[in-house]
Order: sequence, then C-alpha cells, then structure tokens
Amino acid sequence: MASISARRLRKELSEIHVEGCPVGINLLSADNFEQWLLSLEVMGESQYPGEVFALKFRFDPNYPISSPAVQFVVDGKYTSPVHPHVYSNGHICASILGNEWSPVLSVIGICVTLQSMLASCKKKERPQDNDRYVLHAPDNPKKTRFHYDVDTV
Amino acid sequence: MSSREPMWYCHECNAEMRPLMMPDPHCASCQGTFVEKMENPADDPREFSHGLGDEGFGGIPDYLEQMFSMPPPGVNPSMFGGPRGPTRSPTGGLGGSTRSRSPGSTPPGSGFRFEMHRGPGGGSSTFIIGGAPTLGRTPGTRPGGPGVDPVPNMSDYIRRNEGPTRDGEIQGQLMMQFLQMLRAASGNRAGGEDPFAALFGGMAGGPDGRMGDYVFSQEALDRIVTQLMEAGNTHRPVPATEEVIAKLDTDVLQEKSPLLEKDCAVCKEQFSLQTEDPDEQIVVTLPCHHPFHQPCIIPWLKSSGTCPVCRFALVPQPDQQASGSQPPGGSGGPSQGGSGTSGSPPRSPPPPSGSGPAPGAGSSSGGGGGGFLSNIFGHLNPLGGHGSSHSPPSTNNSRGPSNRNSTRRSTRGPSGDDVPGSWHDFLD
Repeated sequence: MASISARRLRKELSEIHVEGCPVGINLLSADNFEQWLLSLEVMGESQYPGEVFALKFRFDPNYPISSPAVQFVVDGKYTSPVHPHVYSNGHICASILGNEWSPVLSVIGICVTLQSMLASCKKKERPQDNDRYVLHAPDNPKKTRFHYDVDTV
Repeated sequence: MSSREPMWYCHECNAEMRPLMMPDPHCASCQGTFVEKMENPADDPREFSHGLGDEGFGGIPDYLEQMFSMPPPGVNPSMFGGPRGPTRSPTGGLGGSTRSRSPGSTPPGSGFRFEMHRGPGGGSSTFIIGGAPTLGRTPGTRPGGPGVDPVPNMSDYIRRNEGPTRDGEIQGQLMMQFLQMLRAASGNRAGGEDPFAALFGGMAGGPDGRMGDYVFSQEALDRIVTQLMEAGNTHRPVPATEEVIAKLDTDVLQEKSPLLEKDCAVCKEQFSLQTEDPDEQIVVTLPCHHPFHQPCIIPWLKSSGTCPVCRFALVPQPDQQASGSQPPGGSGGPSQGGSGTSGSPPRSPPPPSGSGPAPGAGSSSGGGGGGFLSNIFGHLNPLGGHGSSHSPPSTNNSRGPSNRNSTRRSTRGPSGDDVPGSWHDFLD
C-alpha cells in the first residue's frame, strides 16, 4: 500500500486537476510526493499588487498527520513577500504550519490561508528579528519553533 | 547574656555589638543599618550564621578550604592584590570574621566575590573569582614570617599546577582550567554532597561549552534558549492517551450505514465497503461526531488529542487557556509587527474564490484574523458541508469556535537565537 502521504497527495492533486486552483493560486510543479511548488498572487487591493510569489511544500511520509514544510521560494526568480510574519529567507511564522496544523488542512488550504495573510497585511515590513533569525535559521522551517501570538495581521 | 541588656547583631559584620543610636541603630563597626536586636532566644540571628557554617557549607572540602583560605588575621590582605577594595582587615568582630565593604564601594571589575562565615567563633573564607586585573603578586612578597606557613592563595595554587605563567595575571583560560580542576576534584569525592558541585553545578566547560550559569559558545547559548523555550512552550499539542483512544466510539462499516455518505477528513476519501485495507472499514467517531478511518485518526491522536476538523479537545490542550485568555484581536505584545498594533479594526481578508466561511463556524473573536480557518474550512468542500450537517457540539466544549478561528502568528521566537531580554514575550 502506498504511504499515507502519497495516497493523500494523489487525491489532492487529482482534485486540483479536476477543480482547478482558487484564483491567484497555480500549481507550478508536483512531479513527486515530496515537493510541490505553487505560485501565489494576492488578488484585489493589497500591498502586493502584481507580485507573484512561489510556495515550496515539502512533505514527509507522515503527511497529513505531520504538517508539510512550507516556505516562500527565494531564488533568482521569486522573492519572499515583505510581511511581518515572513522572513526574508522565505520562512513563514504561521501557527497552522506548526502546532495548529490539522490534517484537514491541505496544500490548497494552506495557500488560501497564506493568500489571506498577505491580503490582510497593512504595512509591508519584515519581522522584527528577521536578520537574526535568517542568520541562524535551519534549512527546514519546521525545525524552528515559532512562538505564535494571537493577532490579526 | 539574658541578665544584661540585649546585645545587637550586625548582619553585615556578622558580629554582636552595641549599636550607635543615631538615632536609629547603626553598627558600631561598619555603620551599617542591617542590625538586629537579639531579644528572642528562639530567633537568634547567630543561628543563621551557625546554620550556614555548619550545614550549608559545612562540607567545604579541605582542599578548598586550604586553597581559598584567607591569610590569618594580621596578614596584610593586600597580598590578594587585584580587587583590593573589597577586603579589609578583620574588624574585631566575634570570630574575626572578614567582611566586605558595601557593594557600592567595590571598585569596578573586581569580580565575583563571596564569603563563607562559620559563625561566631569560627573563621571565614573569602573567595574572589575573576576580577581585573590580577590576583597575583610578585613572588618575593610571600607573606608570613618565620613560623607562619601560609596557606597558598589562589594564584599560588594555579601557578603551581599550571606551571609558569605570567606573573600577576589570571587569564580566562587559566581560570577555566582552574574551575575545571575544581570540578574534577569534587567529582572524585565519592558520594559527598559537595557544595561546590552544586555551586558550579553541571560545570563541564568542555565539549558543551557550558559552565554553570555561563556559556562559552553561541551553540551552547542556543541550546539553553532552546531548553528554556521547550520548558515554556505551552502551545505544543498534547497527545491523547491510550486510555482515551480506547474509549472512542468505533464502528465497523456495514451496508447502508449513514457513514458511507461521509468522508474521512484526514485522507479525504469517502467511507467505503470496498477497501483494500480491512482496517479502513473501521470508523472511529470522535465525541464531536466527526468520523474518521481508524488508521487515519489514530496516528493523529497520538500526536495531538484534538479533532482535526473542529479541534475538539479529547484531552486538555495547553493553548485552550492561552487562546481563550487573549484579548480578542489584541496584538501579541511589544514584539508584534507594526501592522498588528495600529489599533484600527482589522480588515477582514477577502474570502477565497467565492467560498464563504464554513457554516457552523462562529464569528471570529479576532476580527480579521478569524477568517482564516473558516476560509479554509469553507474552501474544503465537501468537508464544510459535513461539518455543518453535524453541527458538532464543540461550542459546549472548552474549545469553542471562537478559539479555533483565531489564527495565531508571530514574528517572534525562532528558537535558536533569541535573547534573554525577550523572554517576557513567551509568557503568555
């Protein structure tokens, strides 16, 4: 039997192919069940008009029991959105990617959440501790224990 | 003594004396005001000193006593050099105890200094650790006349053990070796409760770069911060216990079961009688009425004792209180990014792709932030539909919809590199 993650991701992939992605979200690559890339664009009025970002999802075999490692792609083509919860290395401080992860969430669900997060941003700025964090950040953002505060950013 | 007017006790001199009333009582020796009238025999301040000497530090190993002992009274204390300020000649208090000046008068850089008193009649020991610039003295000035065999002081001791060093200087490396040696020596004392082992507890100084409360590398500091954060991390999900899991409502799928129209929210597959794995015909229904394949839900419950759909808590989850006690829509504190602290009402994020919030999900306590999960749940058809048709009784539980709707994020707290000054941010 295929691993849980492969089965679930196959299901998600087929839904994406059948139903399509929500507006502003596009599947860039899903060649395997270990890493997917999706593009993300904030629709409507926002701090990020015309900006297109890419999200990298990394899955381990326990997905969806364990959360995927999600970060914005930072390379020659894509940059990390300037946002109080997004570090310049692409790491994202969002509770649903950490201890509020639920297997009900999905790749598209995460994209939608992050889209909302960007859409509701009022002031483009980096996290306060961006430089310090980026200097020492692990490769996998799941290894970072973020501290989440209730907020409405 | 009881027949006489009671004596007073100066806690700075650790000595009995008759105070100068000016008009408040002042110690006749040090002019300090930390004095106490010895009227109650049951509460003799000297007992404290006794206790300290006999119990608290009673186990001072002999070698330490030797190493650290002050020269006997009468020897010029300036032989200690270095932090010349703190040490004065014995003042004739009972037992000839040594005392320090008030901290304010201690010259800067004189290092960490503490004293051990052995109570009335006993001696005292003064330790000075660190300090600038020197503990040394020139070899020719070794104190003690004929007949006096002074115990070695610290710099002597180190010099003897480490070979020739530049006179008059204890460098950090040397001090570290010295402290390591201390530890090694105390480690050899089988079984004994060595106060120094506790004092310099866990002092390895070696590969982990730690020595007591001090760390000597970024890595070691990171480790400590990580430990602290783990200890204080109240948001980590609590897994369900085996007992709780064993009591869950479990069904085996049968023909015409209403469950067959539903999905397992973990694998997103519809319940079916035609499955390869017979375990997938076993359906666990949580108390919130959400059904799951047994092989899907059990691993999740072992990592977090909550319903994946509605976050109903099978076991008390630490962030219930935390999220419940947070002021609605409040910013997370001084660390918060500017956009959260503006005080203006948060703007609701636009609903994604036209799908509304999940029916049954309460309105958010946090305004704009509350929309996230409902957005997701709304998006995840047909899950949202199932959620609504069941209208789980989670509102009656401690974790209501208003809690689960607040998405918590922060700019805070990557574990590796935070600084102690910001720890207050983690206390929520």
